[in-house]
Amino acid sequence: MVSNAGQLITQVLAGEVWPPLADRHGFRVNPDGHAFLLPGMGGVTLGVHCGDPATGYAGDHVEPGLSVRHRDPAANYALQYLSCIGNTVTVSSGPGAGAEGFVIGQHAYVLVDMAEPDMRQVTTGDQVTVLAVGQGLALAEHPDVVVKNCSPRLLAALAGGTRADGRLEVHVAARIPAEAIGAGSGMVSEYANTDLMGAYAGLGEDLSLGLEGLRVGDVVAMADQDHRFGRGYREGFMSIGVISTGSCQLFGHGPGPSTIMSGPASAFRIIDDSDANIGVLAVPPGAAPAGAAPAGDAR
Amino acid sequence: MSAGGSLVSVNLAASIEQASVGDPYRIDADGAPYVPAGDGGIVLGVRVGDGVWQHIADHAAPGACLTHSDPAAAYALSAQACIGNLVTVRSGEAAGECGMVTGKRGEGGRVIVTFAQPVLGRLRPGDQVAVVGRGQGAADLAPGAVLRNIDPDLLSELPVETPGGKVSVGVRAVLPSRVVGNGIGRPTPMWDLDLQLTPASAGGFGAAGLRLGDLVAITDIDARFNAGYRRGWVSVGLVVHGGSPQPGHGPGVTVILSGPAGAFVLNADATDHCGLREETVLEAGRDN
Repeated sequence: MVSNAGQLITQVLAGEVWPPLADRHGFRVNPDGHAFLLPGMGGVTLGVHCGDPATGYAGDHVEPGLSVRHRDPAANYALQYLSCIGNTVTVSSGPGAGAEGFVIGQHAYVLVDMAEPDMRQVTTGDQVTVLAVGQGLALAEHPDVVVKNCSPRLLAALAGGTRADGRLEVHVAARIPAEAIGAGSGMVSEYANTDLMGAYAGLGEDLSLGLEGLRVGDVVAMADQDHRFGRGYREGFMSIGVISTGSCQLFGHGPGPSTIMSGPASAFRIIDDSDANIGVLAVPPGAAPAGAAPAGDAR
Repeated sequence: MSAGGSLVSVNLAASIEQASVGDPYRIDADGAPYVPAGDGGIVLGVRVGDGVWQHIADHAAPGACLTHSDPAAAYALSAQACIGNLVTVRSGEAAGECGMVTGKRGEGGRVIVTFAQPVLGRLRPGDQVAVVGRGQGAADLAPGAVLRNIDPDLLSELPVETPGGKVSVGVRAVLPSRVVGNGIGRPTPMWDLDLQLTPASAGGFGAAGLRLGDLVAITDIDARFNAGYRRGWVSVGLVVHGGSPQPGHGPGVTVILSGPAGAFVLNADATDHCGLREETVLEAGRDN
């Protein structure tokens, strides 16, 4: 597949593992009107990695791994907008310094997965460095498809590619109906993600859209979603995302894909494939740092 | 669910908003930049009963938006002000004039107030107003059908009746949940639900004639607390602001009723529906 990956630049961005935030009232409200107080957003969430279930946790907005922001609001927007899935992240301070992980998506935090033993060394306030590359990525053979939040490394790892009929083949672990699109609709698609409803494991059948089996890191196809210039409903369009957050109890929220591609549905050929998960980007323990190459994470 | 007892009225202070814009451009659904006009503040010439795409504007509401400089007080203002509440201007050239709350908007905690056009023309951003907040906590209208964001006294002016233990509602259209955009997942006392409809797509949903002040029903949305997908439910709301070029946005609906579909009888009329009338709003202002 022909892309302009060789023309992209890499920026070195600083971030900080940001604490979970609460207010003095503590509780939020679930779909049935019951109060809950659960962990999930911010800080370092242990034990949840790409390939693990996205639902079924006693948590809310479960953010796997490190949740990263920058203290300066404008610098934070740059960090959120420019970090792309698959970018290399290195821990820069604290006992975990030198450990390496990768961006799995945005959720008003940049979310970073890394090996569990490394993750256990990291805590709130630790500094991280993101090698941000990917915005501007374009596919010459697929001019109708807008690519975003996708590193060249992720693009290279995705199954599929240009088919003989000219369409872009993308393998997905799940197909998402438009009814599932929750909070995040109407927001820019380079920030936060698209919460999916219909995945409230353990709650009522009338809440289910059959999405309880989603896994963290799954590549999914969202029907009738145009995320080229924001996130909106448009019949005949398709958006591809990567599940970057998990379980929610907050109603109208849920496991969320960060968008990587969007265009007319006719530009895609979607293949159902339970192996379509970005866990393939995980850095094996002891492997050479992926960020060592001069071209950032392009390979 | 009603808290029981009688409703409490509260005098809420607010000020007339000045529209604010950051970057001059927003990006429309096709990727084209545009300068948003009419998004908040005082908007002249947009009236209850106007078509939601009649004006070249972004989220334009019929009248003026209220806000409060303290963020927590702004949230309280939007949570406790309800459609039908009386608003009195307390400072500036229009002091003493009255209007009525006709909707609420999300994120910034805005309250939409409709005044007579001559009054609106004498308002200035920063003018102080008082809102008599009343409505939250109102008893269920019928078994299962919760009431939100509206003073129950205004219901007699809307096509809402309760024969045989059900809520019978006249609406412009019954819309599927998938057209709901911005506002989903947010607390409905403080956010409206934007309908992702355009002049090109609305006809396919029977909503080509959608007007400010219309009632619409949305299926499979439970909006008792946060708004979200629940199969077999219905939420009914008032159209409070006009369309938007932004993806994920569009005409806004402040929810007033939500419950299992069985609690409702929906009477859709794409051509002759009449929800909240401008005369009703202006008479309420004149009577005070």
